[in-house]
Amino acid sequence: MRIVLLLLIGYFSLFSHESFIINTHIRMLPKIMALDSRLSSKIDLSKVVFAVVYDSNHKSNANTIADEINKVHNGKVSNIPFTAIALSVNEVTERRDISFVYITQKCNTKSLKKIASWGIENSIPTFSYDVSDLDYGILGSVAIERNAIIYINKNTLKEGKFHFDGTLYQIARLIE
Amino acid sequence: MNYFKNARLSTKLFISLLFATFIIFITITFVTFSIVRDLTLNSQKEKASLLIDTINPTVSLSLFLGMNDIGDKLSPITQRNEVIALKISDAKGKIILNYRQYNGSETNDSISITENLMDPSTLKPIGSITLTYSGEEFTKTMNRFYTLYGWITISVLSILWLMMLWINRLLLPITLIAHKVRNFKPGEKISFDIPYTQREFAQIIHSFETMQESVIQYSHEIETINNNLQIKITEQTHKATHHLYYDTLTSLPNRIKLQEDLLEKPNNTVAILNIDDFKEINDFFGIDAGDWLLTQIARWLSEMKLKPYRIGGDEFAFRLKGESSHVEFQHEIELLLSLLSEKLFMISDETVHVRATVGIAIDSDKPLIHADVALNKARSAKLPYSVYDQSEGIEQQYQANIAMSAQIRQALIEHRIVCQYQPIVSCSSGKIEKFETLVRIQNEDGSLIPPYDFLPIAQKTKLYHHITQEVVYQACHLFAARHEQFSINLSSSDMLDLRTVTTIENILRQTGTANRVIFEILESEGIENFDEVASFISRMKELGVRFAIDDFGTGYSNFENILKLNVDILKIDGSLIKAINENPRNRIVVEAIIDFAHRIEIDTVAEFVASEEILQKVTDLGITYAQGFHTGKPLFLHQQLM
Repeated sequence: MRIVLLLLIGYFSLFSHESFIINTHIRMLPKIMALDSRLSSKIDLSKVVFAVVYDSNHKSNANTIADEINKVHNGKVSNIPFTAIALSVNEVTERRDISFVYITQKCNTKSLKKIASWGIENSIPTFSYDVSDLDYGILGSVAIERNAIIYINKNTLKEGKFHFDGTLYQIARLIE
Repeated sequence: MNYFKNARLSTKLFISLLFATFIIFITITFVTFSIVRDLTLNSQKEKASLLIDTINPTVSLSLFLGMNDIGDKLSPITQRNEVIALKISDAKGKIILNYRQYNGSETNDSISITENLMDPSTLKPIGSITLTYSGEEFTKTMNRFYTLYGWITISVLSILWLMMLWINRLLLPITLIAHKVRNFKPGEKISFDIPYTQREFAQIIHSFETMQESVIQYSHEIETINNNLQIKITEQTHKATHHLYYDTLTSLPNRIKLQEDLLEKPNNTVAILNIDDFKEINDFFGIDAGDWLLTQIARWLSEMKLKPYRIGGDEFAFRLKGESSHVEFQHEIELLLSLLSEKLFMISDETVHVRATVGIAIDSDKPLIHADVALNKARSAKLPYSVYDQSEGIEQQYQANIAMSAQIRQALIEHRIVCQYQPIVSCSSGKIEKFETLVRIQNEDGSLIPPYDFLPIAQKTKLYHHITQEVVYQACHLFAARHEQFSINLSSSDMLDLRTVTTIENILRQTGTANRVIFEILESEGIENFDEVASFISRMKELGVRFAIDDFGTGYSNFENILKLNVDILKIDGSLIKAINENPRNRIVVEAIIDFAHRIEIDTVAEFVASEEILQKVTDLGITYAQGFHTGKPLFLHQQLM
């Protein structure tokens, strides 16, 4: 009984932590997209698309996150209208109107690498739920430690020739 | 302000310098203070701004990203001691961070800088950050500034003090030169030993020395001129003194010398010698001969024992000196007169016999006056000499005369010369036909002074003419509105005075009384000044004036002259009338006058008719008019008519 109880508490606390991280991502990531100084030159600002990428059978979860982003930001961040939509890995790589990519959890390594290389190739910022995904070439992630901390992959940043507002680099932790 | 005007030059310079320095110093201080304060403050603000700028992007981004826990991003500035407080608010004013350093104290000099936190992409305000920066450095800087200026002030004041000393030292030569020049005397040469001096002062000194040379040279010349003048003044003074005290004709001491000599004693014995009839000698032999005679007499008198003074034209004086007695002095005078009467003087080969009269005042406090009184007395009495006798009261008479003269003058000024009128009655009808105007002086108490008390004195003091003009004015204006004839007494001097004659003519013309006025002339005066009186009568008769001879019968009557004068009335002297009943001689003279008057067909008036008997007598003798107390006393006209 005790074991069951502990498992339940662990499950709920884990669930609560995941929820907190996602909420943080929902609030922060569109704003980080707005800090992309090349955003206006890459696409038409009236068709900014924030892609919530899922793998396998996690589409519903991605849709939920995309809906929540649209709801929280009311379709606009820093006066830039955008739309958050849930897309699969393949769908993302085939589209040309994507401005920012947020990879939900539980993507396989192959998908991560594909998205990462696509992002580097097209200078599309790719942020992942999990900080460990940066090992596969994903640009960044927001982790919750004592505070919210932005991690940016230094190598990907160089390779993809990303240009964010300089201040972002002051508050972000650049890792290799 | 007067103090500054009268202050020394060095003081004025110093005050001016002090004032100018004060103004400049205050201005510079104020400007410097403003600049330093603003610079320091701006510098602090710049620092605060820099600090804010350092964290602004990070904080802005954190706020933008919703990373509200940004305390660790502020550590670069919150660790600084200068940062007292830091406050971050979002766009709605909600305070996200309110940091305050507890070991820091917010003073009045602390600086607060507020900046907006901007959306990194849209650069729209999303909040604000306020940094409170410590003013300690500003305070320290300003304190250093104050200290520095304190030292500068002390330095400036010290410099000013030194400058004052320097100015005093610089201008000291002026004081020294002034002191030297103040004590300069034309006869002495001063040297300007100034220890140090400027070129300008050297020029002044050189100029003073040049001027001094000129002054000394001029002084020598003036001194020489003064000496010469002094000699001339001494000579002239001696001459003037001699002229003042000595008679130029006889070289005898004069009246002034005598008066000074008389001051030696309170009382003196003096004799005044007057040459008898010297005017005749002058008229006969001429003035030069007269002067020659006076010279000889003076020489002769000088040879006598008595020391003579010449005190007037023909007057000499002698003073009794200490060693002689009054009796001896009187004897010596008698002897001198005796010898003089025997002495013969020569004028142009002609011998002249000189007589003299002497007046002596013995032991008198007014010897000259008293001797003169005695001289007049001797001459009047035809005596060779006379001694002043105070008991005779002659001097008192003089005093009375002086007082009366003043009284006449005052009466003329105050219009107290008044006229009374005595009726002249027709012997045939007994009626008043004329009035004689008789002058009086009315005292302030209303009493009257009779004419014989003041007219003789008025004659001698030249006031007579004024009295005559006043009498003519009053009488003519009074009788202008009446019908009676009236007479007025005139003296020969009135007729000889052109101004009086003109005045009389004017009054007669103005009042229209010429045909009723009768001017009475004294018989004696008519004879003595015949030509002048005749001329006056002729001039007045042209106006219609009639003339009467007053007091006729007592003088040396000359019927021929009376005829020539063409008078209208003879007023027979009262002395003949009042004794006409007792003295047959009087009656004979009166009858002769009446006969003469009848023959030349002129009227006669009997004066001094004091009784009915006399009136009857003069009427019987055929006299035309009678005048006297019996027929009417002199009264004011309004009294006569009552």
